[in-house]
Amino acid sequence: MSGRISTDLIRGHTNTIVLNILRQGDSYGYEIYKKIIALSDRKYELKEATLYTAFRRLEQDELIVSYWGDETQGGRRKYYRITDKGKEVYEQNVIDWIFARAILDKLIQGGFGDAKE
Amino acid sequence: MLKNENIDKKVTAYIESLFSGVGASQQLFDLKEELATNLKEKTNDIKSRGLDEDQAFKEAVISMGDLSGLVNDMRKLGQDIAKQNVYSTMTSRISTAGIVAGVLLILFGILTVTMLYFMDLEAPAVTGSGIFIVAGGAIFTYSLLTRETTKKYGMNKIRAVFYALAVGLILFSIFVSVTSFFATGEMFIAIGSLMVFILAGIGLFLILVLTGTDRHKN
Repeated sequence: MSGRISTDLIRGHTNTIVLNILRQGDSYGYEIYKKIIALSDRKYELKEATLYTAFRRLEQDELIVSYWGDETQGGRRKYYRITDKGKEVYEQNVIDWIFARAILDKLIQGGFGDAKE
Repeated sequence: MLKNENIDKKVTAYIESLFSGVGASQQLFDLKEELATNLKEKTNDIKSRGLDEDQAFKEAVISMGDLSGLVNDMRKLGQDIAKQNVYSTMTSRISTAGIVAGVLLILFGILTVTMLYFMDLEAPAVTGSGIFIVAGGAIFTYSLLTRETTKKYGMNKIRAVFYALAVGLILFSIFVSVTSFFATGEMFIAIGSLMVFILAGIGLFLILVLTGTDRHKN
């Protein structure tokens, strides 16, 4: 039985996922898309449509900034860089995630019988 | 190389059709270029896996996901910018016309009064044309305040109307007192008629000045 990640579940974490990629170096849309696939061991694909929406939101919130790279065969690439504010938000999101994951594990799998053993 | 040009054309045509009818903005222009560059690279990647060009392009587009949210964002942005432009050019035209009309009215008033003065007419007839200065002053005030400059935003129209009214009242009070002085030759009548309007005018002016908001641009 193979699992899947629902859109509802991933939606709240798109920003953190993008910030995680960018804190490891500047990157552009298609490369970020490929890195996310690689990070998931090819088990998860975050749609580019979702990514571009996330870039716009993150840029408005000043968590990332963008700049144009050099001309390639296909045109200029738009690169993104994480800001200090973005790094702070990322760190906090990681703390929140670790906390939430522990609680959710208990809520979803835990039983009252387990505690007594 | 020729095949790459084909992909370039397809991608450009696709992006253009995706955003067709969306109002122009700098952000839309940038987004189109960003999407096009990435989509071309993706298509070429898929093609290098052995697919033919058409299939590679189709797969690249499909795997992008639903871009309608992004298109809607851009549409809203384009509309806002279009509205802003129309609004500010309309306002600035009205304001420019108002400043010109105001200044001309004031000059017309001053020149007419001067002209009539030298025609040796009765004093009350001479001051009568001063009403043009009153009207010109009010129009000039309104137009100047609603004008948007590089440093300041234009004033709220209703507020500017009240400012124009205050200036109009003060100028009118002076006009009335001068006219009634020349008509009756009595100073107390002049001051009496001055009082009514100038108090209202200055009162209104003070309220406006004291409740003003900062219109400076960042």
